[in-house]
Amino acid sequence: MKRIIFTNPTAQKIYDDYFASVTSCISILSPTDQQELLMELNSHVYEATHCGVAGNEVDILVDALHKLGAPELVLQPAIAYKKVQQAGRSFNPKHILQALYLNVANGAGFFVIGIIYLLILAFGSLAIIKLISPTHTGLFVQNGHWFAFGYTSDLPDGLIELLGNWFIAVVIALMGIFYFLNTLLFRLLKKR
Amino acid sequence: MNTEFVQNWFSQVKKGTLSYIILIILNEKEYYGYELVQEIKIHTTLEVAEGTLYPLLNRLKTEGIVDSKWVEQESGIPRKYYTLTDSGKATLTEMKKIWSALGTAIHKIEK
Repeated sequence: MKRIIFTNPTAQKIYDDYFASVTSCISILSPTDQQELLMELNSHVYEATHCGVAGNEVDILVDALHKLGAPELVLQPAIAYKKVQQAGRSFNPKHILQALYLNVANGAGFFVIGIIYLLILAFGSLAIIKLISPTHTGLFVQNGHWFAFGYTSDLPDGLIELLGNWFIAVVIALMGIFYFLNTLLFRLLKKR
Repeated sequence: MNTEFVQNWFSQVKKGTLSYIILIILNEKEYYGYELVQEIKIHTTLEVAEGTLYPLLNRLKTEGIVDSKWVEQESGIPRKYYTLTDSGKATLTEMKKIWSALGTAIHKIEK
C-alpha cells in the first residue's frame, strides 16, 4: 500500500495513527485480505482528501475519517465475515476458533443477559426460601470469615447469620440492580 | 410519535435497501468505492457510514453479484472499480420485481 503524504505534519500523524489502528484491527486476517482492505480504505481516504474540497488539510482529513468511521467498529463485520471464509477454506482449527470468537461476540451480549436473568430469578427464590426456612437462609460468617450467601443445609458450630430479615431487603435490592443492568445492556444491544 | 421506534425502523429499512440501491447505481456503469458513496448521497437522503459500504461490497463480491478490479492511477493510489456481474443483473431484475410488488401492496393497504 502506497502511503499518502500530507504537507501538514498533524494531518500526517492523524493519517498514520488511523492506519496503524486499521492494521492492528485486521492483523487476524490473512496477509492477502489485510492488503486488500488496507488498499481499499487508503484509496477511499485519498479520494476524499484530494477531491478538490477547499480548506485546511487537517480538517478535510478528519472529516473524511469521521465519515469513514472508527476502524474497530466499521471493520468488525468485515473481519468476522472474512475470517469465516478463511476458516472454511483452510479448516485450520486456529482460524475456526478465531471465526467462532468473532461471530459469537455479537451473541455474547445476549448470553450475559440470560445469565443475569437467571441471577434475578435466583435472588427472588432466596427471598421466598428465607420466609420458609429462615435459619438456613441468609449471609453466614464463621469465625469472622465469609461462609455462605443464600441457602445452606449445613449449619456448623460458630456459624452466625448477619442480616436476619434484612436478607429479604438485600436480595430484593440485588434483583432491582441486576434488572436495571439488564435493561441497560439490552438497550445498548438494540442500538447496535 | 414514538421517535425511537421510527428511528429503529428507519435504520432497519436503510440496512435492507442499501444493497438494492448499490445494485441500481452499479447497473448504470462501473464505480470506485468513494465515487459510489457520493452517488448514493446524491440520489438518496440516506446517511450511510461510509466505512460500512466496503464490507457490504465485499459480501456482494463473494456472492458473485458484483465484480471488482484495481485500476492504477497517476497518483500511485489505485482505485477499485466495481461492476455488476451477469448474476448481479439477474438479481437486480428480481429485486426490482419484489420492490415493485411490495410498493403496490403498501399503496393498496394505505388507501
